[in-house]
Amino acid sequence: MRPELLVRPSSLAHLWKTLPSLPRDRRYLAGGTDLMIAASHGHAGDCWVDISGLKELRSFRETPSSLFIGSGLTISALAEMPAVKKWLPALALAAPHYASPSLRNMATIGGNAANGSPCADGVCALCSEKASIVLLLKGVKRKLPLPAFFLGPKRTALRKDELILGFEVPKWRHVSAYEKLGPRSYFGISKVSVCVSAEISGGVVKETVISCASVAPVPLMARKAAEFLYGRRLDEGTISEAAALAESEASPITDTRSEAGYRKAMVRVLAARALAKIAAA
Amino acid sequence: MDRSLLDCVVNGGRVSRGIAASRTMLEFLREDLGLKGTKEGCGEGECGACLILLDGRAVNSCLMLAAQAHGREIVTIEGIKGRDGGLHPIQKTFMEEGAVQCGFCIPGIIVAAEALLRRKPAATLEDIKLELTGNLCRCTGYEKILGAVELSRDELKKKGKR
Repeated sequence: MRPELLVRPSSLAHLWKTLPSLPRDRRYLAGGTDLMIAASHGHAGDCWVDISGLKELRSFRETPSSLFIGSGLTISALAEMPAVKKWLPALALAAPHYASPSLRNMATIGGNAANGSPCADGVCALCSEKASIVLLLKGVKRKLPLPAFFLGPKRTALRKDELILGFEVPKWRHVSAYEKLGPRSYFGISKVSVCVSAEISGGVVKETVISCASVAPVPLMARKAAEFLYGRRLDEGTISEAAALAESEASPITDTRSEAGYRKAMVRVLAARALAKIAAA
Repeated sequence: MDRSLLDCVVNGGRVSRGIAASRTMLEFLREDLGLKGTKEGCGEGECGACLILLDGRAVNSCLMLAAQAHGREIVTIEGIKGRDGGLHPIQKTFMEEGAVQCGFCIPGIIVAAEALLRRKPAATLEDIKLELTGNLCRCTGYEKILGAVELSRDELKKKGKR
């Protein structure tokens, strides 16, 4: 059921002033592509607070060492930004695999995180790019490493009325690969996704971050696999060993989209493919 | 029931009226404005039958609240026209090429094609396929649709019909 009360604050200041007068069971509405579907399947709050019009959530800032991505930016808007193509190759690679073009025109990167799903493509990409998430509640900001934001399926670190201001991503010279396995080539929710970002220097891995979607209760960071690769060359042997480690870190379930055993085996396959692409880049 | 004022532009004309907070854009267009060209297929963003242009970008009107269009511009299939006010070149090509069977998905597909060709007049077949990933057709098998969008692109380029 869609709620009968919708509030559309004109600014963040207006939002914080309005909140106390609203019913307790309230939700933020951004792109709406997940919330509208949740509402058609059951109760989704007594009141929606539409933050899609807030300019303060759509900023994009570049400093010499980092990028700041406003939570209200749509996936399409991000995919078209030259700075994203240059500094966030994983996000740029994941974008065409994120839902469909019309959904990308509405869906926001903040909503992708707030929804708390372990299969989120945008989140998986940003996790591999070492993003932090910046949360805001009445003028108080806090910053968490993005993987720490996820507590369980559909459970996040967001407190009552707190919203996602955006994501801070450091600039680092990495290449990325995004491997997604879905029911079809495009426009499917992932059965398994593996995203690898790596900085290679002098032929050896200086740093690598491996994130996986749909294979754990939260977006999974394959830390053992990444640590193993530190200081090594990417060749058939190291790739195969790292991929096996990534598989050992996954704890998928069987659900309507895929089976646990298959998902686990595919983590190894997709991790090896992603690492091979990085080695060839 | 909470009502709010919606002031927006629909197919070039200004619309200003009170609407229920829970009204979707699709319900608003079909039931309040009588614009029945926009279809409801799945109601969950999977099929693309309800696509409209919001500030020039294709969006699923079933997943959008009408109130979110306040101050913005909407174009529906009824607003996609040729320069002479008749059929748009994409619509003509779809008819001539037999790209329409039952027709239910076609308004959404033409909206998606128009959004793509406006943004990318030289779109390749691969671009067209990617743009239409969110549009389901259960009749044609897509070949005729893809062919018609390619021909529309060529027509639009040749005649500068915009």
